[in-house]
Amino acid sequence: MIQILIVDDEKPICDLIDMNLSEAGYHCRSVQDGLSAIDLIEKENFDLILLDIMLPGADGFDIMEYIKPLKVPVIFITAKSDVHDKVRGLKLGAEDYLVKPFDVLELVARVEVVLRRFHKTDHILTAGDVMVDLEALKVTKSGRPIVLTNKEYGLLVLFMQNKNVALFKETLYEKVWKDEYIADSRTLELHVQRLRRKMGWEKNLVAVYKVGYRLEI
Amino acid sequence: MKFSWKILLCSLITMAAAFGIGGYFFVNDVFKASLEREIGQATDDSNILKFAFETAALNIPSKYDMLQNSVIKEIGANLENSGQGSRRFLRLSDEDQKVLYASEGFVEDTLLLSDIQEQTRAYQIIRPDRRYYVQTGIMVHALDRVLYLETMRDVTEVYAERARGFAVYRGLMLLILICSSVVMYIVSYWLTKPIRLLTQAARKMTAGDYSCRAEQISEDEMGRLTMDFNHMANVVEDNIHKLEEEVRAREDFIAAFSHELKTPLTAVIGYADMLRSRKLDEEKHFLSANYIYTEGKRLEAMSLRLLDIIVTRRYHLEPQDTEVESLFAYLEEIYAEKKEIRVVFQYEPGRIQVEANLLKSVLLNLTVNACKASEAGGMVEVFGRNEEDGYCFAVKDYGTGISPEECRKITEAFYMVDKSRSRSHNGAGLGLALCVEILKLHGSELVIESTPGVGSCFHFQIPGKGTDSRETKGET
Repeated sequence: MIQILIVDDEKPICDLIDMNLSEAGYHCRSVQDGLSAIDLIEKENFDLILLDIMLPGADGFDIMEYIKPLKVPVIFITAKSDVHDKVRGLKLGAEDYLVKPFDVLELVARVEVVLRRFHKTDHILTAGDVMVDLEALKVTKSGRPIVLTNKEYGLLVLFMQNKNVALFKETLYEKVWKDEYIADSRTLELHVQRLRRKMGWEKNLVAVYKVGYRLEI
Repeated sequence: MKFSWKILLCSLITMAAAFGIGGYFFVNDVFKASLEREIGQATDDSNILKFAFETAALNIPSKYDMLQNSVIKEIGANLENSGQGSRRFLRLSDEDQKVLYASEGFVEDTLLLSDIQEQTRAYQIIRPDRRYYVQTGIMVHALDRVLYLETMRDVTEVYAERARGFAVYRGLMLLILICSSVVMYIVSYWLTKPIRLLTQAARKMTAGDYSCRAEQISEDEMGRLTMDFNHMANVVEDNIHKLEEEVRAREDFIAAFSHELKTPLTAVIGYADMLRSRKLDEEKHFLSANYIYTEGKRLEAMSLRLLDIIVTRRYHLEPQDTEVESLFAYLEEIYAEKKEIRVVFQYEPGRIQVEANLLKSVLLNLTVNACKASEAGGMVEVFGRNEEDGYCFAVKDYGTGISPEECRKITEAFYMVDKSRSRSHNGAGLGLALCVEILKLHGSELVIESTPGVGSCFHFQIPGKGTDSRETKGET
């Protein structure tokens, strides 16, 4: 189980991140001030630390100094969006930088990217009898390889990373096509239909009324 | 044209005119005196000749009753040659102005003769062959004959002297002008130096260097101008600094405001997104909805506070005669229940002209802040006492205290002493900013005295009845 430490002085934000990452299959701990964060980092091992910069006790940059020798990847989360702070955080050795208000999906995606970079996560996603190798870019169903287009693969990964989560059409389109979603566009529907057929997910990949699609496994 | 060149040119023209006119009159005066002397000499000469002629005529044996023309010629020739060392020019004419004898080279015209009368002599300056002569004429009576005796005296030297005088003077003037133009150039350069320094300073200031000042090098009008310029520059610099400070405060406000907005917004957006896209269990569903509600409330409280500040700035105060007791009673009621921090009230009775609701809010804000700064079990004191020109309120705590540089910023919106902006006490950092605005309306000012680790004292004084400033300040 991957251990993630969340350090943010706002309880609601901690809980929000905790809930989402737990849902994605990580184990989370959260603390609200810098000094107890340092205590916890010294006592326990973490695979990833999400760090707010403005903290009571010791600020994020101070804590970063403690984390550095432990070689634990860090993602900064802060409301400060000026470039100066970003650069400072990244120079100190942070892996990524997330500015509030952030999208929960984005947070999860970034956490996954960082973990994969450190080979802390399985690069194999599974859902039922479907397996996706994120490094070899290979999709198999019951051991049988399936050929997908680029966009179909993108959609598949998104669905498998967010099992049982209703994904909005806008979100899907923006993440896969990297473009603004145009209402009434049939592109997304067509791709989802083809993906359904190829994966044999006619029952699992359900349309959610007025929202988008959800992968039910 | 440069100012220094103008000074130089004007002074040179003035000098040239003065020297020129003065020199002309001086040389001419010397010349006139010399000419006068020469004329005097010439008339003396003619007198001597007249006397010599008359003497010679008397000595001639009186063969005839009348003086013969030949005798006159003879005397003339004798006279001409009797001059010692120098040749005399003379001419003798008879009654009918007919020339009887003339020296060689004597002028031919006889116009002067008509001017000669009994007892008067005539003279004129003539200029034959580029030489100057004084020609004199006199009447001579000898042996019943009336003759005219004319002489000529060479005065070319006097004229030549005048010409020489002018030439020397011209040379001298040229030399003086050259020397003085060098001197004047240096002088005018020196005089206009403050102007150049001012120009330099003004240019630098235009380019944006507001700390630049002109060097003051004299105490005269120029020096005063430099002083005034520098004074103006000081004022401008101060104003610029004030503006920059204001811009900084405003930028800080916006940065702080957006920061304060972002945190609750992140929670609201995140939880709402979870609610709409996921099937959550009962507990998580409630938790998410509750967070959206509380964070939304926080945003609301913040926007209301901001609105309060903006409204207060434009508020027209309507003060009422208020008993101090009623204000303290209000606070006492609120803090009666509070157990973890002891709030002590100590006040003298008094009456003040304030808007009670606003002042209550100030006192409450200060007391709440004092409680936040105090540890559990600590003490907060609220004082009220009559002063000479008003009523003084003070809220004192023995908590964390504030450092001096933070004291200056503490009344800015969103500023919180705790760097983390920890909201464990649930404030937005707007309370003191509001207090300052309200006190401004009452013509009062919030004074902060604080020592880190020892505690803080926030106090202010509401002006009493004796002061009229209250009303005018209330309207601004």
